[in-house]
Amino acid sequence: MSSAAGLGALPRLAALWLLGFTWAAAAAAQEVPAPARPTPAPPQHHMKIVFVQVDGDRRYEPIVASDRIVLKKPEHPFAGAQVGIDDAAPLRRILNTDFALDRIAVKSPADVAPAIKQAADAGTHFFLVDAPTAAYAALAAAMHGRNVLLFNVSEPDDALRRRLCAGEFVHVYPSRAQLMDGLVQYVVSRRWTNLLELQGPSPADAAMAAAFEYSAKKFGAHIVAQQKFEPGTDPRQREHNDPALLSAINRDFDVVFVADSDFDFVRTVPYHLLRPRPVIGSIDLRPVAWHWTWDHNGAPQVNSRFEKKANGRHMAGADWAAWVAVTMIVQAVLHTRSTDFAKDRAFILGNGSFDGDKGLAVSVRPWDHQVRQAVLLAAPYEVVASAPIEGFLHRTNELDTLGDDQPESTCHLDH
Amino acid sequence: MVLMMLRLIVALGLILGSALAAAPAAAKDTGLIYVSNEKSNNILVIDPKTYKIVNDIAVSRRPRDMHFNAGHTKLYVACGDDDVIDVLDVASGKVVGKLVTGSSPETFAMDEARRRVYVSDEEASSLAVINMDKNIIEKEVPTGAEPEGVMVSKDGKTVYVTSEVSDLVHEIDADGGYVTRDVVVGTRPRRFAATPDGKELWVSTEMAGEVDIIDRKKFAVTGKIDFLPPGMRQSDVTPVGLVMTKDGKTAYVTLGHAAHVAVVDVPTRKVLGYILVGRRSWGITLSGDERTLYVANGLGDDITIIDTASRKPIISIPVGRVPWGVVVDE
Repeated sequence: MSSAAGLGALPRLAALWLLGFTWAAAAAAQEVPAPARPTPAPPQHHMKIVFVQVDGDRRYEPIVASDRIVLKKPEHPFAGAQVGIDDAAPLRRILNTDFALDRIAVKSPADVAPAIKQAADAGTHFFLVDAPTAAYAALAAAMHGRNVLLFNVSEPDDALRRRLCAGEFVHVYPSRAQLMDGLVQYVVSRRWTNLLELQGPSPADAAMAAAFEYSAKKFGAHIVAQQKFEPGTDPRQREHNDPALLSAINRDFDVVFVADSDFDFVRTVPYHLLRPRPVIGSIDLRPVAWHWTWDHNGAPQVNSRFEKKANGRHMAGADWAAWVAVTMIVQAVLHTRSTDFAKDRAFILGNGSFDGDKGLAVSVRPWDHQVRQAVLLAAPYEVVASAPIEGFLHRTNELDTLGDDQPESTCHLDH
Repeated sequence: MVLMMLRLIVALGLILGSALAAAPAAAKDTGLIYVSNEKSNNILVIDPKTYKIVNDIAVSRRPRDMHFNAGHTKLYVACGDDDVIDVLDVASGKVVGKLVTGSSPETFAMDEARRRVYVSDEEASSLAVINMDKNIIEKEVPTGAEPEGVMVSKDGKTVYVTSEVSDLVHEIDADGGYVTRDVVVGTRPRRFAATPDGKELWVSTEMAGEVDIIDRKKFAVTGKIDFLPPGMRQSDVTPVGLVMTKDGKTAYVTLGHAAHVAVVDVPTRKVLGYILVGRRSWGITLSGDERTLYVANGLGDDITIIDTASRKPIISIPVGRVPWGVVVDE
């Protein structure tokens, strides 16, 4: 198509080109002469990053409907880390440094700590940890005081930031508190402040509901009723498995929040409520670290690089976290001009601010080593908003309106 | 294959064109305002006196950066979603040719003396050097990740490129096609302006919210300018576009989401004031007499026209969807 359009037009185009000489002829003599071509030397430094995952991690099991239709196929975020390494390739010449990424898969959460200890003993300082909560206590104990930074790239559990509170971790993946604060900021900004909460039976559902309730209190939303649901079709349990009956309450509500980490019951909630009300939480409007439709702040470029790397798969929150973790390490080397661990660690945990393609620069909170970041509020095909929502103010950094701020945090690594 | 054929056809067209070459027409200095609209895939032409849209030119998809040739007979438009630079005939307002670029061209620079167009190729992390006559990419100079702003020195010997992801500005030997020096700047460097004395290079750093000043001889950052318009949040200060007056005294910087243009006194590097514009202002250009400033508001679907003497906006004109850049024919 373009060739046809170009052909007829070309004679005139060429005519133009014949007269284009005057432009640079009068170039001023004050231009700075460029130095001679530098001779490239082989990289002197090597920076190894190890990605650790757990085989059989339940968080990555495919989510299937009852008739074996595969609804979601979550994948380990290794490709996100690979994009970060690819992004660093052009820096090889400038930094005289090779960045390498290794992948270790262990059999169970209990095997994470020994595997990382072994690699750390062999000289690796930077790890991307893609493991469930169960792996973390032993890992923190094994690595206490060691020269390592362990980047949590996939686990939102608030307990890791609060109770465990270990200085060797950097939580790049947002905490549940951050995610729920973002979600509640949005509904409050729309004045949808009367909320119905439906909570599932699993511990993850309870953690999600607890975080949501805390956020609602923090931002002045009102939970008009809390209902527990039980997935199933048993008619004797209909008070607990039928969304219409679960939402048949006297008080009106603006929005229904559903905590369903299995992504099972929640699928039956939209369009089955007694009142026509939007659903948020585990479906429809979800707070996420990243979304493939986000198209501001350079996001289309990284989404496109990721999809190429991951055979067309859309970039998800954990992929973003893995990409940012690698970016933080690379940027530390760039800005300190050093592969010395102490210097790089100080940069990452100190004044380093990083471009996570979510607008506001990301950085590490000194008190609990959570990465402060925007939370995207994603509908299936559109990022509806990015939190912090305008109007939620903070005395130093608006990103600290999301999650555990210094005064309320129970973790004080900065003291 | 299709690309090769296209290039062949274009080359053939050139030979024909050379034979038919017409006498050069003088620039008409119409003062017409050209606005590229990323999402409506058109260039709108606006009369500077009546503020009326006088032409609507359909171009390839996602038009962004625009440059006139020296004679202002042609307007070159980078079209990101079709991987081409459209060539518009200014007199007829028609697309008369296309230069084939790397993927998703956004900003570019031209050196007509060397018959070259320099385009940053974000996906390939390189600077593509295009031969305008042959319509081929002659060289690809590796850069940092996501190269963006491109500027060619007046003598054409040096090209400067920002790398958004690597926080670098590269100095490139234009004829040799290799990087000579790099300098680390603030987070997400975007665009350039050069002081007329050739000594300084100003670069906007979007995420750092500042303009970094590079000494071209030392190739080192020697100063920074911070911005904070009244009533705005620091985090919304995302500088992108910048222009400098010909006397090198005043610079204007668009501040992106902070919806203002900063006026900077170049010798003292002090911010003299802020002018309110629309949301996500990026593209910025001065009229020939430098009395008028044009700003494209990407998330306002309009442009703001500013009187530079009073530093006040005169009018905002609705344009197409997601206006990217503005240029003036004079």
